Amino acid sequence: MTRTRAMSTDEAARPKTSRMWLGIKDFLSRWTFMTPAALLLLATLAYPILYTIQISFSELDLGSFTPSGFVGWDNYLTVLEDDRFWNALRVTGIYLVLALPLQMALGFGIAYLINAEWRWRGVVRALFIIPMVVAPVVAGGVWRMLLDPLWGVVNYLLGLIGAGPVDWLGDPVLAMVTLVLVDTWRWTPFVTLIATAALLALPQDVFEAAEIDGANWWIKFKSIAIPLLMPVIAATFIVRWLGAVKMFDIALATTNGGPGHATSVINLFIYEEAFRSLKFAESSAMAVIVLILTMALTAIFLRGAKKLEDMY
Amino acid sequence: MTAASSTAVRRGKFPTGHYLRIAGGVIACAFFLFPVFWMVLTSFKMPRDIFTTPPTLFFTPTIETYTSYIWHADVPRRMLNTVIVACGAGLLSIVAGSMAGYALARVKLRGAATIGALILLSRGVPPIALAVPMFLVARRLGIADQHITLILAYCTFLIPYVMWLMRSFFKSLPPELEESAMLDGCTRFGAFVRIIVPISMPGLLSTLIFSIILAWEELLFALVLTNRFATTIPVAIAGIAGDSVNGANWGALTAVGTLTVIPVVIFALLVQKWLIKGLADGATKG
Amino acid sequence: MTRDEDGMGSTRRALAIGGATVLAALAVTGGAWAQEADAALGTAAAPVNVRMIANEAFAKQWQTNMVPEFNKRFPHIKVTIDGVPYAELLAKSLLDVTGPSPTYDIIIADDPWIPQLAQTGALLDLKKDAAAWTAKDYDWSDFNTAPLAAGEWRGAQYGVPLRSNLLLMFVNKTLYKKAGLPEPTPKLTWDEYFAQAPKLVQDTNNGGKPSAWAIDTYFARDALTPTIWQTILNSNGGALLDQNNKPAFNNEKGVKALQMHIDLLKYAPPGAISHGFNESLQAFRQGQVATMFMWGSVFRGTAVDAATTTLTPEQVGIQVMPVGSSGPGAHRGIWSGAVTNKSKQQRAAWALLQWLSSKEGEVWQANALGVFPARKSTLATKPESAWLTPVYVALQQGYDAAQAGEMWRPRMPKSDAVQQVLADETARAVSGQIPADQALKNAATRIERLLR
Repeated sequence: MTRTRAMSTDEAARPKTSRMWLGIKDFLSRWTFMTPAALLLLATLAYPILYTIQISFSELDLGSFTPSGFVGWDNYLTVLEDDRFWNALRVTGIYLVLALPLQMALGFGIAYLINAEWRWRGVVRALFIIPMVVAPVVAGGVWRMLLDPLWGVVNYLLGLIGAGPVDWLGDPVLAMVTLVLVDTWRWTPFVTLIATAALLALPQDVFEAAEIDGANWWIKFKSIAIPLLMPVIAATFIVRWLGAVKMFDIALATTNGGPGHATSVINLFIYEEAFRSLKFAESSAMAVIVLILTMALTAIFLRGAKKLEDMY
Repeated sequence: MTAASSTAVRRGKFPTGHYLRIAGGVIACAFFLFPVFWMVLTSFKMPRDIFTTPPTLFFTPTIETYTSYIWHADVPRRMLNTVIVACGAGLLSIVAGSMAGYALARVKLRGAATIGALILLSRGVPPIALAVPMFLVARRLGIADQHITLILAYCTFLIPYVMWLMRSFFKSLPPELEESAMLDGCTRFGAFVRIIVPISMPGLLSTLIFSIILAWEELLFALVLTNRFATTIPVAIAGIAGDSVNGANWGALTAVGTLTVIPVVIFALLVQKWLIKGLADGATKG
Repeated sequence: MTRDEDGMGSTRRALAIGGATVLAALAVTGGAWAQEADAALGTAAAPVNVRMIANEAFAKQWQTNMVPEFNKRFPHIKVTIDGVPYAELLAKSLLDVTGPSPTYDIIIADDPWIPQLAQTGALLDLKKDAAAWTAKDYDWSDFNTAPLAAGEWRGAQYGVPLRSNLLLMFVNKTLYKKAGLPEPTPKLTWDEYFAQAPKLVQDTNNGGKPSAWAIDTYFARDALTPTIWQTILNSNGGALLDQNNKPAFNNEKGVKALQMHIDLLKYAPPGAISHGFNESLQAFRQGQVATMFMWGSVFRGTAVDAATTTLTPEQVGIQVMPVGSSGPGAHRGIWSGAVTNKSKQQRAAWALLQWLSSKEGEVWQANALGVFPARKSTLATKPESAWLTPVYVALQQGYDAAQAGEMWRPRMPKSDAVQQVLADETARAVSGQIPADQALKNAATRIERLLR
């Protein structure tokens, strides 16, 4: 605002071309920020997506890996008739509803705990990142070791107190619990990391002022921490949502979608159909459906996030 | 109670609540680290000691997996590839992504919000649907199995994340900061580099860490886009786990897992100091 | 219907391309055959490079052991082997060979993959296109029929067997002795097996609850899990598909076989429902199960290598799977080597495959690497390692059983997709989500639609 006014005082003295030049320069300087990301993604993202859409309406010639022959909505109809596809959507829904809130709550809660000021705070914070770095294949395998009814420590410990053995991977319901557990183990540290940065950036003087005013912890939490953290909470949720909706490697390594199809999340299903059954046309159709679903839900969440931001 | 006692608190004197908080943090940390502990433990076992009933804490440790198997699986070369690709992708996306995030948060641009939303929404594509077309393009351009291909592929999911996270960090900064800088003669870009970036160091660094980590462990694109020259550690791990001839070698798997964890832990411990420093800088300037 | 015509068309195209290659080669070589030949196999001044895509599980072993041995015969052929995890190998091979200039000269393909790769028109017919480069003493008829057939599709030989494998029965003799049961012989029937199974669930350490079980094998959803059911079906005289490639398993025989696979769970360790290749290996190697239906290639790591197993060769028996109404069971799993027809080094590539699958190469590979041979002559030799002797006996029995009962996965371009359908539906039955007959009905419908 101030800047524009400053500029307009000069305007009269300057020739028109310079004004235009300034306009262009300003325009460019504004767009400098958006351009690299936009160009990079246009090159790497737009073509693959268009290609996928094209395949989803064609038959894929496996001899050349090019779409051949327009088949209309055939691939989509095949997919929609497939009860495994619907099952995969349902399973993904259950997983998201269980895992996301759990990870958000745990992540911010633990961030609060480990940010208590003491000597080893930095070390604890750094150690907490480790689960995120363990490759999904290794993580899935280690958890399988821990949870196995025969060889696992968890069932061994349960046995000591007279419970179990629990078949964590063999029972359809428990397998989902296990999947959520492993996913939460791997991704809570991610939420914690972002939450830590956000907590560190909170202005301490506001809290101190509130304390002097005699506010109790609930009021501080509700009236200061939450509103200040809301943009970060919303952003973290959306990032986590976009990550979780694409999750497939943890399911692949932990349960491989089993038993039966009990934990076959949509991206694992699409991956298997595409790269193992080599049904690229049908899986492209699935990918497009999932893309649209995710876009719609993400748009709703974005709107919600904006509302929340505006509210506070 | 807590409120009453905490009003009296000054630096260096902590109430019980504070110790409870520390204890809670340590316990949570222990829970989350137990599987990692088990992974490290397993990496020192002979394959036949890994699956015993009951599970054993005491065994004759061996470093055989580290000395023999690791070199067989080309681990050092793949580790180097992973470092190159993860750092390359992380740095490229933190630059492009934080600029885009800043544009969304501060610069008034017609259409930018739409582009930003589109970038974010595009993340819903199942990765396998992107990987195969990418391979076809890379093959046509003759850059299949190159580091740059993987770096660009990783940007597709890193840039949106960085952009979105940094947008919220930038939003939480008071706008007067760069406005005053620009009044002092800085260009918008100059103000961004000189004022905004230093203040946002904690956010930038934590975002960079997680970008590198996400690229570090990525499997699908690496599997599809690389064969030999640029293969990364996750591909090696998938190979060990999917050994259809002798069975998964869990000793080797956990050993490679342990090795991949170490550099990131060291990195995180180093950056830890920066995170705090960045915050301190921000506090004094803000 | 249309699909069939497409398939035929591409075969014809493949043959035409193959023929053209031969003609072109002849035209180029002309009179100076001998000189050309040397250049194609490389010279000290101009070595040739051959690249191979293979399963990560053995790529490194080949690169460090097999290639130097090969280079003793052909010093000027440089071989590079790229390993890819098994689950992604077929897709990666397909993506590569369909490109305008493929990276790889040699594709190493698992048993059911040859038709799908050949259908793209990317493979060389070795008996025809490579005939001129084949040594006179390369004895095609010495191969057992079953493993050689893995590289064949629609009358053309696209691959030669390089690493042979069979689904066999592993026996823990100690646990049989503890249960007071006689050691199984290759004559053991399924009825006898199931009659003995309850006694093999035993408390070996007096802990008050079972600590050893009768069986572990594939139960989880996996492309290879249906091979267990299919082998039972085949040994009872049933078949997966009829001659018109229509499902032939959706009947009483099929349901009975699947039910038998499910019933195995009663005598398997807790949690076996999510067990596959790795888990059953662990259970057997820990001495926790008396039998295991598993690929023979794991024998070394299961009975011999002290680093990976608690068992010894004396404790472990290996034989064909139990006998059904029409004979014993086995299931074929052959890795074949194929040459891509866009390769510029076809002769050198074939020289490598030829040597490795020759009598000489097979004997070397069996003795040096413990890889199973496919040739009758090799199986008749006395192996250098004593532990291989019982394995050779079991392999020869297995080849005969597989041949007699057609115990292999479907051979068609969509065999992998068929296998996935079977994996899906049988897994649902094994995990108790639907009854066996319903699973087979679903599978039949889906496969019929797939192959239409």
